[in-house]
Amino acid sequence: MPHPWSHSEDEVQSVIRNRAGAGRASPNGTGSGWRFAAIVAICALSLHVLGCDKLLTTKPDPGERFDTPLPGLDNGELGAFQRGHTQFRKAFSIAEGLGPIFNNVSCASCHSGDGRGLPENTLTRISRDASDLAIDVGGPQIQDKAIAGAEPERLPSGVLVSYRMPPPVFGVGLIEAITDSSILSHEDPGDADADGISGRANMVTPAPYVPATEPGGGPGPRVGRFGRKASVSSLLQQTVEAYHQDIGMTSSYRPIENVNPVASHPAVDPARDPELTDAEIENVMEYMRMLAPPAPGDPTPARDRGQVLFTSAQCVKCHIPTLHTGPHDIETLANRDVTLYSDLLLHDLGDALADNRPDGGADGKEWRTAPLWGLRVAREFLNGQLFLLHDGRAHTVDQAIRYHGGEATGARDAYLAMPPTDQAALVDFVESR
Amino acid sequence: MSRAALLLVLAALGLGSTAHAAGLPGPRREIFTPPSPDAPYHGSLDGLAFGGSGELRFAEDRQAGVSNPDWFSVGWVKGFILARLSSRFDLAMQGSWERVADDYTMERAEIGYRLGRAYQAHAGIFLAPLGRTNLSHDVPSYDFAERSLVATQIVGVPHAQVGVGIRKLPPAEGVARMYWEGDVVTGYDDGVITESPGGTRIPSGRNNYGDKNGIPAVVGRVARRSASGHEIGLAVQSGPYNSTEIDGVHVDRYRWMHVAVVDANAEWAGFRIFTEGAYALIDVPPTLQALYAEQQAGASVEMVRTLFDPLFRGWRGSAVTAGLRADMVDFDRSVQGDSRSRLSASVNLYHRPMAVTRIGWYYEIRRDRFNNSTPLAGVTFTAAAFF
Repeated sequence: MPHPWSHSEDEVQSVIRNRAGAGRASPNGTGSGWRFAAIVAICALSLHVLGCDKLLTTKPDPGERFDTPLPGLDNGELGAFQRGHTQFRKAFSIAEGLGPIFNNVSCASCHSGDGRGLPENTLTRISRDASDLAIDVGGPQIQDKAIAGAEPERLPSGVLVSYRMPPPVFGVGLIEAITDSSILSHEDPGDADADGISGRANMVTPAPYVPATEPGGGPGPRVGRFGRKASVSSLLQQTVEAYHQDIGMTSSYRPIENVNPVASHPAVDPARDPELTDAEIENVMEYMRMLAPPAPGDPTPARDRGQVLFTSAQCVKCHIPTLHTGPHDIETLANRDVTLYSDLLLHDLGDALADNRPDGGADGKEWRTAPLWGLRVAREFLNGQLFLLHDGRAHTVDQAIRYHGGEATGARDAYLAMPPTDQAALVDFVESR
Repeated sequence: MSRAALLLVLAALGLGSTAHAAGLPGPRREIFTPPSPDAPYHGSLDGLAFGGSGELRFAEDRQAGVSNPDWFSVGWVKGFILARLSSRFDLAMQGSWERVADDYTMERAEIGYRLGRAYQAHAGIFLAPLGRTNLSHDVPSYDFAERSLVATQIVGVPHAQVGVGIRKLPPAEGVARMYWEGDVVTGYDDGVITESPGGTRIPSGRNNYGDKNGIPAVVGRVARRSASGHEIGLAVQSGPYNSTEIDGVHVDRYRWMHVAVVDANAEWAGFRIFTEGAYALIDVPPTLQALYAEQQAGASVEMVRTLFDPLFRGWRGSAVTAGLRADMVDFDRSVQGDSRSRLSASVNLYHRPMAVTRIGWYYEIRRDRFNNSTPLAGVTFTAAAFF
């Protein structure tokens, strides 16, 4: 008696019949020679596919991306870079510690391809004044997402508000390595040269957990260089605070969960604190430290003319082409020129751009000069769009220039006075950085 | 190129031809006999049938031109025991480990009770009838090395749950009839959100060991099979997925998730065609809605043609088939991006009906929530067999 689960010989034959019935080539088994040839051809085709990069994807040009390492890193540094690359992209689940309140789930979720973000990634910063960060009502940053059981923060009344687009993260290691003297040499707080452009460093006190051995760490004040108002001096602090404030991930540096202070009931996520190891924080910090800026575009006659116009319009007074790094543990960051087109100083950009919210030493009209590097490929990582200035209000370089005021009024007016072809050449130059 | 050479050598050697299974219906033509084994038995012992299947995978996978070092792996290992306890009672146990999920799954721990000729009541852990692929997947007679995206990313195959239900059994070959299954099951859990980094991922909510919120889900499938074997099926699972209390504190209301799957199987112009589509509606808490999807969808179409059967005269049971599949999933219908699209091709040598070596190629475009695309591709060599 056949086993109850078995398939009878008839059934097996039925399988073979069915298979042969669909697209049967030669059910009688004839033509063995050309079948063998066909098998050989299939194998040869497979080998061809393996040798064909287009069928197996190709590496993008490193200069076209935001997530490539600086040239000249040694193997150990590249290993650290890769670990950080993975960590930067890691999206956290609630079970892993996301929240209880947060803005997004990973670093890469806000910094598209390690570049800029979209308007929906905009962070809302609040405070009452430079020294009162409105902690009691959810400051200094509103976390608008929350896990089950927690209440997201809502914008309270009676506070100063500033909207901040995620900035690019490439090149921050170079920014960190720029010497204080290189930055401070461009300061002109009293406008001694009477050109209408002052510029001053935002001298800030690092977070207590940033050791003196870290660049920008130790007892303050130190030259602020990160953030839209240069309110942070240390890449470690920038990393720790982003994890804590943006993603709700605790670390030994910030071991206490960020919670909604006005929630009707307390809520925390299910993960044990600290949710990140020191190594994970350091991996991401090292990764960002070693990220290379994209290569600028090839020079063209129009761009060359645009560069001349950029200079003659006095844009270079703030968007200084090159600053210089000093000694650094990572050799490729040390003692080199950094072509970022920024002086990293605070400038009054006028009422149109003012958020009227002091931030550290920066007043409500002052912004750190934004580096121009990476604009050439920025659109490629934002669905063909561009969102410029601190709140992303400008969608073209032309619009961004027109929003400039305050100390940049002269440069803006010079641009506006140019004939359209010159304006286009200047914009083309800026967008080729 | 050394990997390529190795793949070729393995293909030539026909690794996997040692299977000695009794045989099973061919690709997409397997006969459902209660409790729908998708595997042949290895041996029988006084009412027991037992066996297993496995797959080895050699691959050159690349992402944006960068090779994945994981070039040799075990695709899956599966073991099963089937028992006929009496003329009416059946027992089935089936467990698997899978590379993609890197997880063990109890696919079946099910007892069935035959009600007349055409009906069966069953209870325990069983594969939810949420689409044809979930009911019958990864048998070595499958014509692709990887399952479709809609199966793995929306349905979450293998999707097995604890439950109880009744099914009308599929018709015998050559008989046209409707058949169906309806079950009450534990359903997905809030892993759909809480264990799902980067957005809603339904497979993260698979949980087949028990309920987490006290409210069961219902799942059912209705299908019609023609005398020639063509089939169309519609399946739906619906139920709350979230926990409403944490440590006794009420944190949320019940939030429902509905998943619908349509599948069809036919032959046309010498091709076996299989298509499956899925649509999911997820009630996401308002505080997470900007990041977690409320609607997901996916579809796949695959065409397979038998090229040689048998491959050589006298090699009984051998065959060569070729398949082409296009599939895509949209993880969030409300945003551009957050999607995957893939084209797969495979040439398969069946040494016996239940032992196969495949050479495959795939090309995939993944898009993140910014709609930035990343290409992935690979050449795979797999060897799968029952043992």
